[in-house]
Amino acid sequence: MRHSNFGLTCIPLLAVMVSIPSHTLAADAAAFVAQVKVSRGVVKIQRGGQAFPAPVGTRLKVDDVIATGGNGSVGMMFADNSTLSMGPEGEVSLQGFTYDPTTYMGAFDAYVKQGTVSLQAGNLAQSGPDNVRISTPQTQLTGNAKQLMINVEAK
Amino acid sequence: MKRQFSATSATRFPAYFVGLGLVASFLAGCAGPSEYFVLQPAKDGSTGSMRATSKEGKGFVLDAKNTNAQSRGGAIEAAKMDSDSVKKMFQSTLDAQPLPPSNYRLYFAEGGDQLTPDSQTQLDAILEEIKRRPAPDLVIVGHTDRVGSVEDNDKLALRRAGTIRQIFETRGVIAENIQTAGRGEREPLVPTADEVAEARNRRVEILVR
Repeated sequence: MRHSNFGLTCIPLLAVMVSIPSHTLAADAAAFVAQVKVSRGVVKIQRGGQAFPAPVGTRLKVDDVIATGGNGSVGMMFADNSTLSMGPEGEVSLQGFTYDPTTYMGAFDAYVKQGTVSLQAGNLAQSGPDNVRISTPQTQLTGNAKQLMINVEAK
Repeated sequence: MKRQFSATSATRFPAYFVGLGLVASFLAGCAGPSEYFVLQPAKDGSTGSMRATSKEGKGFVLDAKNTNAQSRGGAIEAAKMDSDSVKKMFQSTLDAQPLPPSNYRLYFAEGGDQLTPDSQTQLDAILEEIKRRPAPDLVIVGHTDRVGSVEDNDKLALRRAGTIRQIFETRGVIAENIQTAGRGEREPLVPTADEVAEARNRRVEILVR
């Protein structure tokens, strides 16, 4: 009995182990979801526990956190042509971004922790009314706004 | 005696102010900091809409009629901001918006990936636009007319996109800054019946971003 149990739990484990390399490759190919097009003053990315500067041209991944200093501002363009810009003392997390360039289907999730942000719609907002989801410390927003501006005051 | 009195009154005044400050910050602390949301219309005047929901489940719909809202302490209501205060609040953010993408179309001779002479002359203008941008990237999507099978047209559309990619790589655009895709005959500029040759559908759409 114990033996067969062990065998059963082993099979999915093995399957997961075998499937890891191909998943990683697929994720790598589509890893970059946006690029910094405007960067002024102090602009930083936090990725995997490390922070580094984000000059013009920097590519961004899901789970990146972009932050601006007191004199900083940043503008980025996503794969679906949507843009997000942010003024000084701001922080935004790219919580999720999926996009199929053929069907325009996918989803955009971002968390605005602090600061002023302007989000201009791209193809994702066109293809479905609930594809763009923005959250802040106190509020959730979902919709297809052409341009949404957000100001989250500092605590 | 007199001295002592004036000393205590001197300390009493600041204490009074500190007390007021504490009360004020306590009251503000109850509601917490504010969040503002503003919709801006696109060039065609449309705004789209956005459903806002507070942590306490209060809702507010931002749309063409209700373009701004304030969320604070679980409540969401119209923020009654005028255009001047909106501009002031978001000026530095708006100044950092990337340039919108520029859109170009290049056309091909029938059945192949040879650019028409007219389109050939447009390449320089596209390169100028690429150079104008600090961190340019290109999206090139190939299309066909409806002559031939869907499968063949998928291949032809990709080949057209690939040919244009080659041209820009030769002229100095870095490969990793170019994405190509083919849509075959699925997205005609001019809808036609099957097997109709239509020059305006034999094209690539180029986005310089």
